[in-house]
Amino acid sequence: MIETLPDYRRVAVFGGVYSNAPALAAAIADARGRGVDAMYCLGDLGGFGPWPDRVFPLLREAGVRVSRGNYDESIAAGLDDCGCGYADPRDNHYAQISYVYTYEHTASEHRAWLGTLPAHQRVQLGPHRVLMCHGSPRRVNEFLWESTTPDGLLRQLLADNAADVLLCTHTGIKWHRDLRGNGHAVNVGVLGRPENDARTNVWYTLLSAEPDLRVEFVPVAYDHESHARDIERVGLPIEFAETIRTGWWTTCLENLPARERARGRF
Amino acid sequence: MRQTLPVWPLQALGAPTAPFVGLDALWIQLAGTWCNLECAHCLNASGPRDPWLKPLAPAVVRAAIAAAERLGVREIYFTGGEPFLHAEALSLIGESLAVAATTVLTNGTLVTDDVADALAALARDSRYSLEIRVSLDDIEETVNDAIRGAGAWAGALAAITRLVARGLLPIVTATDVTATSISTRYDRLHQFLVSRGVPRPRVKLMPTFALGRHSGGSAERLTETALHGFDRTTLQCSRARVVADAGVYACPILAGLDGARLSTGSLEAAFRPAALYHPACVTCHQSGMTCANG
Repeated sequence: MIETLPDYRRVAVFGGVYSNAPALAAAIADARGRGVDAMYCLGDLGGFGPWPDRVFPLLREAGVRVSRGNYDESIAAGLDDCGCGYADPRDNHYAQISYVYTYEHTASEHRAWLGTLPAHQRVQLGPHRVLMCHGSPRRVNEFLWESTTPDGLLRQLLADNAADVLLCTHTGIKWHRDLRGNGHAVNVGVLGRPENDARTNVWYTLLSAEPDLRVEFVPVAYDHESHARDIERVGLPIEFAETIRTGWWTTCLENLPARERARGRF
Repeated sequence: MRQTLPVWPLQALGAPTAPFVGLDALWIQLAGTWCNLECAHCLNASGPRDPWLKPLAPAVVRAAIAAAERLGVREIYFTGGEPFLHAEALSLIGESLAVAATTVLTNGTLVTDDVADALAALARDSRYSLEIRVSLDDIEETVNDAIRGAGAWAGALAAITRLVARGLLPIVTATDVTATSISTRYDRLHQFLVSRGVPRPRVKLMPTFALGRHSGGSAERLTETALHGFDRTTLQCSRARVVADAGVYACPILAGLDGARLSTGSLEAAFRPAALYHPACVTCHQSGMTCANG
């Protein structure tokens, strides 16, 4: 059977939300204002933030098509940890605090819904076959950093998955690679926390078929101070709030490759 | 000569196996077991005299890098022995960086100002990350050098200082040589590095393994029963291959051992299940460790 894919000209794609409902609301409003054909989210709805349940109605009401991340898999299955793929003890310490809090504050109906999400989504964007995943097409928690993802790997992933454009998130930092006639790879960034660059905005990605692929990273400003205060109010680590306020990552950064780590403050 | 070496049929080893799912990491045993140190816990009994595993010819390294790129490798590691003993280490690292993110595992003692300058230039000019892993087992010079040899502590510290001064962020790798907890060792090393002027310390902890100079005669082996319900694709040998003298191997720390040899020819020929036959496989299974950076 031949699968009929949605065929669009312009879509908005959101990365990890990390319980950052105000950023998600701002991104949805921005994307609507730009007249996109559809909105997608690549998963990891929970983590770091104070009110995990608040993201679900926003996604549903806006008709955002969501695929699952490692966080969503773990929450849905009631696993012991987020499956983020960290190896460092300090990263795992903060990741566990975040995960336990998120699990305990995610309603059972939302957990069940997370369990229904697809691992991947596909869309036809003009002439481009687009594959969306969370980490990579082969592993939900694979980190595709710009400085550790070679062209050869991207070409192979595209070929193995019959795609022209690969979209992912998971790392928290956006990038775009034009493979010069061999396709494109885009890490769409995340809505959940800023990019470790001293800026407080977060990012999502607009993709357009003109008919060549156009990739546009869109900064999203939101009431980050209010979000940071809420993080503190519910008793989550002040380090999580500090990241929201300053734009510098304070936790879950030990797995950054040298290039990306050098750009940060910590 | 090479073609006469055995490639063990897995069933002959009588061991459970790990599937091969993809080439995340290519390891290059650049220096073989040639090293200027002779550490008491060395995983492959490296040392300065008559290395039992020979350094690699540059042509072999180049062929491996080219094959790995074609096969979709994600990252490349250079190890030994001490990689900087190899006369063409810097040029080969540069060629590797043209293909993928590259990591060098070093004891640091040969990272002179000139070498540090060259590494900084390679890192600056590459689109991919260059990682330098410097081995330092303990913050106390006497404890460290009792294991790694006189001068090892000072040499590692000097290398870390030189690299940091050039904007590089070395990963300090410590093998568990004391009975302290992981968190204690981690915090201790972290604080020590900050005190030595390393603003953003990066630390990787490794367990000791029952092999090389630390083999201890362990007879424990993995069994199918022990692996029941365990996801074997989480093991490093399901996602990495090692090019060393006389073949392609399943595991960086078992490189050169007959039981870990999967091919005497091409890299691709080693894309098959690996036998979990060695006592060191027990440590990997129990600890979940990986030799990779993350």
